[in-house]
Amino acid sequence: MKAGHSQAMFFQSRAAEKVRNPVLQKALQKAKPLFSGKRAKSMAALPDDGLEFEQLRDACAGIRDRALADLDVWLEIFEDNARARGAEVLWARDGDEICKLVIDVAQRHGVRKVTKSKSMLSEEAQLNEALAAAGIEPVETDLGEYIIQLAGEAPSHIIAPAVHKSLEEVEALFAKTHGRPQEARTSADIPALTREARGVLRQHFLSADMGISGANFLIAESGTAALVTNEGNGRMVTTLPTLHVVITGIEKVVPTLEDFATLMRLLPRSATGQTISNYVSLLTGTRSEEEVEGPTKTVFILVDNGRASLVGSAYQEMLRCIRCGACMNHCPVYFSLGGHAYGWVYPGPMGSVLTPLYTGIENALDLPNASTGCRQCSSVCPVRIPLPDLMHGLREEQHERGLRPWGERLGLRAWAWLATRPVLYRALTRLAARYLNWLADGCGRIRIFGFAPGWTAARDLPVAGNRTFFEQYAARKRD
Amino acid sequence: MRIALYVTCLVDLMRPAVAFAALRLLEATGNDVIVPPAQTCCGQPAWSSGNRPLAATLAQKAIAELEGYDAVVVPSGSCAEQIVKVYPQLFADDPLWGPRARALAGRTYELTAFLAEVAGLDAVPGEFAGSVTYHDSCKGLRGLGIKAQPRALLARVKGLSLQEMGECEECCGFGGAFAENYADISARIVDRKCDSIAAAGADAVVGGDLGCLLNIEGRLRRRGDEKTRVLHVAEVLAGEVKA
Repeated sequence: MKAGHSQAMFFQSRAAEKVRNPVLQKALQKAKPLFSGKRAKSMAALPDDGLEFEQLRDACAGIRDRALADLDVWLEIFEDNARARGAEVLWARDGDEICKLVIDVAQRHGVRKVTKSKSMLSEEAQLNEALAAAGIEPVETDLGEYIIQLAGEAPSHIIAPAVHKSLEEVEALFAKTHGRPQEARTSADIPALTREARGVLRQHFLSADMGISGANFLIAESGTAALVTNEGNGRMVTTLPTLHVVITGIEKVVPTLEDFATLMRLLPRSATGQTISNYVSLLTGTRSEEEVEGPTKTVFILVDNGRASLVGSAYQEMLRCIRCGACMNHCPVYFSLGGHAYGWVYPGPMGSVLTPLYTGIENALDLPNASTGCRQCSSVCPVRIPLPDLMHGLREEQHERGLRPWGERLGLRAWAWLATRPVLYRALTRLAARYLNWLADGCGRIRIFGFAPGWTAARDLPVAGNRTFFEQYAARKRD
Repeated sequence: MRIALYVTCLVDLMRPAVAFAALRLLEATGNDVIVPPAQTCCGQPAWSSGNRPLAATLAQKAIAELEGYDAVVVPSGSCAEQIVKVYPQLFADDPLWGPRARALAGRTYELTAFLAEVAGLDAVPGEFAGSVTYHDSCKGLRGLGIKAQPRALLARVKGLSLQEMGECEECCGFGGAFAENYADISARIVDRKCDSIAAAGADAVVGGDLGCLLNIEGRLRRRGDEKTRVLHVAEVLAGEVKA
């Protein structure tokens, strides 16, 4: 797997810039309680429907594991059923193959404009750039995606792609793109801005020759693509053009509609705190003779791009992911940086696992380490992915492959050498206590500490005295 | 019951009063309390950085010196979690060390969990005339289920009132080497924690992990808050602090 367009190696410098961006920080501060609050409220209401979170996530994890245990079989069943309903099923090894297949289909049908519903796979493939280069106009129709397409940016969140944007930034973008003077806006104007985008997008919906969507799930028993959306743009994209292309990862398959129904108990609740999303579309095959709407041609592009290599590996649990975003919505690191700092398609804890796995461990060294180990992500994950343990596994691989900095390796070895020699350890910690106390200079804290410049850049180091516990304890016992 | 106190390297060097407070509390349970003299570090820094061999070396040392006791008590959720959760994982397939690691894990407790659930300590010696707000440290909370125990014990401290902060279960941004290696991010996270503490307006912020407490205290002081005290739960329970 190649790193492609990943910028994950620049995590540290991007992080430094993001924590100092006041507009971004304000946007993140505003979003954080909304995400976690809405989820918490909907989870607290589960018992009202006779449901229980821990049982549900067992069931959901079980469904995903069942699909992954025989992934090839379920994919073949899906393929057969989708073909039987008139759809075409294609397979793509990587992002380049996605682009090639999509452009090929588009050119065969004389497509000039494509409307798109949210698809993270299209981000993995950088499909918009490829389409534009082939002379085909891609139009993102999810409001957040539309905003960042205008801004020429990538999504910073998997379900709220423009969460990093302020109202002022959106107003400036809309004014410029829609050819009108810029106005002073408050949050009361958000519906007006949404209507404005809707008006523009409506023209695109009616004039597009092809619609591209992702799929939240592929249902094997019926050959169905399940689409979970809130804005209605998904319906426009998948039903108005006569040609519909679904791009999704091979891991998205689930055996039955019943399985899908169970997963839907937790997906919207985990993502947005909704009991169910505004729209749930089950798209099966092409328009039949009795039907008046829907595409006459449906093409599924099922993508590997690194997924197959995780099957049977120590990281297979990552493939359970249903892309709800709850892990990033509860991540202190994500909410300090936003998604762009992570450098590739997927941010937050799931990105910190997926980016090294899909683009190369050596190309994303910071991501599995830039975690406090707080386990907030795994405590909310609806399919029980042990994200901190997977990040830990990647840390171990970095160590085994000699990818950790020499200073850290040497420091740890010296520390362990000392810690296995208690007499020497006691003597040196006694000296260390005195040294720290001397640095603290009678004020109980160190303001600049050469051994931990990062620590004292933002905080003092409190110092309690000049004698270690074991020194004082030995003295007490002698008395 | 013979209880071993596992002091932790951070308490030994940075705040010995926590270990003395823990000693006092454990002695109040009427058990024999021993401080195994050769103890150093549980190996968590090596484990967190992905260095399994070094983590295993330090774990073996700790297992050997702690396995002879009826209970091992740790005044830190983080180091207790290392012994309870990680040691058995380190030696999962090891026929010699596996059973020893699992046995030790089964007898190791975070301090407040031991006091509240095992020893059933009814009265605590501490007095504190003031309000405190409690920070739930991540490894203790999500790793070991430490949540109600410290609060139940604090409720028995004479004069003390608990003033919960918003988002008390949010990480403080410490994360061991994370605070040094990703200093910018850590600073941003601890700033939010300090905002929550300031909004709660308590006289003291109390927690069960010295790493988090040093991080929080260091940032509060740097922000100019000289007033809010930052205390380990053992210090408050044992009456090692005057309000």
